[in-house]
Amino acid sequence: MMMELIASAMGTVAFALLFGVPTAYYLTCGAIGAAGWLMYRLMLAIPIGPTFAVFFATVVIVLLTRFAAVWRKCPATVFLITGIFPLVPGAKFYWAAYYLVTNQIAEFLETGFAAVKIMVAIVLGIIFVFELPHRMFQLPGRNKKAPKIRIMRRG
Amino acid sequence: MDGGRIQPKTEQEERRVLNAAMDAGHILLQNGAEISRVEETMERICRHYGVMTGEFFVLSNGIFTTGGQTSDKTFARVQHIPVKGASMDKIVAVNQLSREIEDGKYESIDDVERKLEEIRRMKGFAAWQQILASGVGSGFFCVLFGGGFADCAAAFIAGILLYIYVLKVSAPHLSKIVGNIIGGMLIVLLSLASYHIGLGVSLSPMISGAIMPLVPGVAFTNGIRDIANGDYISGAVRMLDAVLIFLSIAIGMGVMFTIYHSMTGGIMP
Repeated sequence: MMMELIASAMGTVAFALLFGVPTAYYLTCGAIGAAGWLMYRLMLAIPIGPTFAVFFATVVIVLLTRFAAVWRKCPATVFLITGIFPLVPGAKFYWAAYYLVTNQIAEFLETGFAAVKIMVAIVLGIIFVFELPHRMFQLPGRNKKAPKIRIMRRG
Repeated sequence: MDGGRIQPKTEQEERRVLNAAMDAGHILLQNGAEISRVEETMERICRHYGVMTGEFFVLSNGIFTTGGQTSDKTFARVQHIPVKGASMDKIVAVNQLSREIEDGKYESIDDVERKLEEIRRMKGFAAWQQILASGVGSGFFCVLFGGGFADCAAAFIAGILLYIYVLKVSAPHLSKIVGNIIGGMLIVLLSLASYHIGLGVSLSPMISGAIMPLVPGVAFTNGIRDIANGDYISGAVRMLDAVLIFLSIAIGMGVMFTIYHSMTGGIMP
């Protein structure tokens, strides 16, 4: 378990470098990646299944991301993209491709569908937490109000 | 709040402000920012320098700007911005610049232009650093998929070789679809090879770890956020980008599995 936490943090940091994140944010990126993985493992301990576990892990990651973005005064994208990586269902992906070419269609459908459900859980986690108002994430004492700019939304 | 708004004096100055805003938007969009961030940053720069008439239309691969009096537009510019690899440091830098402009740290538009040029020239990490990071990332993610030490070592090597391929062959010469199909094939080939020479015992974590550097994280996350923000066109384009890459990797993996099967007679480790 400890090993996994270290691995998720280090993996997140490695990918932060790959996406050109400035070095100053590595520690925060790694911590968020590890926190997400910890939540995922904790949720797996109770029987709610991997999809919900990923959903709650995503929620934790995005909450931390938004706090970190306000605290470090930088775009949330930096922490979000890297922090989500440990949750990507790479293994499901592998098995789906494998079952497909070996003509094990029932197994393919099962794994492929599980992978899609996990991706949807990640999507919903991101959308729900980004819906929360910005002021929730402002730390006390740093309440410099962000200027609100009205711009027309277009398709 | 806005650190004293500056009134542009001439039409010439107004053009320069709009051009600077467009350059800032260009850098953001090219390096993987969300559409709303691009629009907001451009709007902020224009407002601060007193250009109230700027109108922007931002898509995932282009920016359209007009400015001037509503009855008589004096500025119109379209920029096509091809999708490039993400580099977060430039997004962070432009974001920082836009904050500083708002705090009134940039008196004249000259300083902004200079700063933008500086950001555009910012060097990312060197190729060897990225290649090493890809290997390290693959190795550590292999742990999360339940790999042992030998599996992770194999994933590390596969990650390194894969990224050499990405930087030297795929990114400069191949289209996304072909590049990722071959990438998927390469991962399976490398993992099977290390399995057969005795490095690594379980194929699943090895391959799962090694495909991570190909996963289109930026396109996927930005696609979701754009759609959530109501930028459907750009969001859909980015999601399509992500899905295409996912499918291409899967096809590449599948092709390699099939070749392996026909060579070994249906036995898969």
